[in-house]
Amino acid sequence: MLLDFQRLGWWKYALLAISLLTAAFLLLPILFIAALSFGSSQWLIFPPPGWTLKWYADFFADPRWLQSAWTSFQIAAIVTVLSVLLGLVTSFGLVRGKFLFRETLRALFLTPMILPVVVLAVGLYAFFLQIGLNGTMLGFVIAHLVLALPFSILSIGKALEGFDKSIEDAAVLCGASPLEAKIRVTLPAISHGLFSAAIFSFLTSWDEVVVAIFMSSPTLQTLPVKVWATLRQDLTPVVAAASTLLILLTVILMALFALVRKGLKS
Amino acid sequence: MSSQIRASTASAPVRPARPSGLRWTLPALAFVMLFFVVPVAALLLRSITEPAFGLQNYVALLGSSTYLKIFVNTFLVSAVVTVISLTIGFPVAWALAIMPGRLASVIFAILLLSMWTNLLARTYAWMVLLQRTGLINKMLIGMGLIDQPLPLVNNLVGVTIGMTYIMLPFIILPLYGVIRKIDPAILQAAALCGATRWQSLVRVLLPLALPGMAAGALMVFVMSLGYFVTPALLGGTANMMLAELIAQFVQSLVNWGMGGAAALLLLVVTLALYAVQLRFAGDQRLGDR
Repeated sequence: MLLDFQRLGWWKYALLAISLLTAAFLLLPILFIAALSFGSSQWLIFPPPGWTLKWYADFFADPRWLQSAWTSFQIAAIVTVLSVLLGLVTSFGLVRGKFLFRETLRALFLTPMILPVVVLAVGLYAFFLQIGLNGTMLGFVIAHLVLALPFSILSIGKALEGFDKSIEDAAVLCGASPLEAKIRVTLPAISHGLFSAAIFSFLTSWDEVVVAIFMSSPTLQTLPVKVWATLRQDLTPVVAAASTLLILLTVILMALFALVRKGLKS
Repeated sequence: MSSQIRASTASAPVRPARPSGLRWTLPALAFVMLFFVVPVAALLLRSITEPAFGLQNYVALLGSSTYLKIFVNTFLVSAVVTVISLTIGFPVAWALAIMPGRLASVIFAILLLSMWTNLLARTYAWMVLLQRTGLINKMLIGMGLIDQPLPLVNNLVGVTIGMTYIMLPFIILPLYGVIRKIDPAILQAAALCGATRWQSLVRVLLPLALPGMAAGALMVFVMSLGYFVTPALLGGTANMMLAELIAQFVQSLVNWGMGGAAALLLLVVTLALYAVQLRFAGDQRLGDR
């Protein structure tokens, strides 16, 4: 019987083998990069002849790497705040409101998620060239907000749908103003949605490269753009160090995400 | 409830229409219109207005063998990536749906880690792994399978490997959901009626999972069509794909008309396939219970 693991006979081992091989296929390149970043070979020989922190030293000694990381962080932080706020307000409208074309509107808000990013990148590039936003922080923030907002609307909308509105109404009955009830009753209840929205928004902006390539100028680059530009020239191990730092941040955010989910559930 | 209370205290109508809902969505609507709809529409419009009004850009795009090769590359790579992802993804999703919980959660963690690891970092890993002196070639030579290093980067083989790596989680996760929803009693019934495992697989499990597989496969195919970073880094300049072509028209050639035409082509194919995908996903929802 095919949906009972114990009664699959030898098929069980075949399925297990292919799952483990696939997991290894997905995991090993990530570990490989982390290992290479500590390897002493300039030519990325593996296994490395020795171990070194040189590439991290190079990374932290070069102001351009640090500058681009700082730029990335600032943009991602601003995008996160705006995306959660705008996503929250919009989700209230989409979940609570009853109006014509509500589903159409929701679909429109989610479209940037499914559209090829390069189309948005080129479109915004043309637009920003005309209004002088190219190569500015504001341009980056706007572009990344377009990509991050759907994640906020999805996460917060889902949380809000799962929240029983009569609890908020009860608070109003007990004398809270509608706004007070929203802030003190509804917001805490949907905080897990706000939190996922924040993490997804941050990672969307922090990792984004296609739009960023078009938005960047020689003086304003994000970390992914710097990695991209470096990779087009050579495969220096400094990129392995930068990548490992990026991976580390992802792991930390994912762990945080898992912890908060667990905390909210219990 | 609150509306009734309010109605009794104030002279408002009992059930006020709720314009408030729409009002809350207006800031986001204005934002999305200004910075998403209008710029993309303007870009597409330039395909028929630059350099002059007419369809000359589309004639040039569809009539040239250089561009034709790029379209073929794009479709071919996306199709192969989709088929490989589906072939590997189905058994993995199946196993995940029924294996012991602890092992499954480890594999899930790996899937999510890989999905959320920076795309450039993952692509970089494959650039290093696949290069002539890279680990893969060294291992193949070490095992005595080949004498000379295989050319694995700067060609479509590299792009296909890198893209499959990226797309696998995107097909495994939705397929897992689909298989989880299938009632084990159906397969028990098949076994009771004397179906062999192979018959159960081909005539019961696969058909039940088919709408989900189609939806997942279409999603991966569409995502692959518009991919930019991985093809650009692993494919090299000689093996361009559609997204790179659009970028090149705009950035290096400053030919907005052609860029817009290529973008429209990609957009039309993407939206059309998504419409099909939604139908499959819809069918699947109907079949749930």
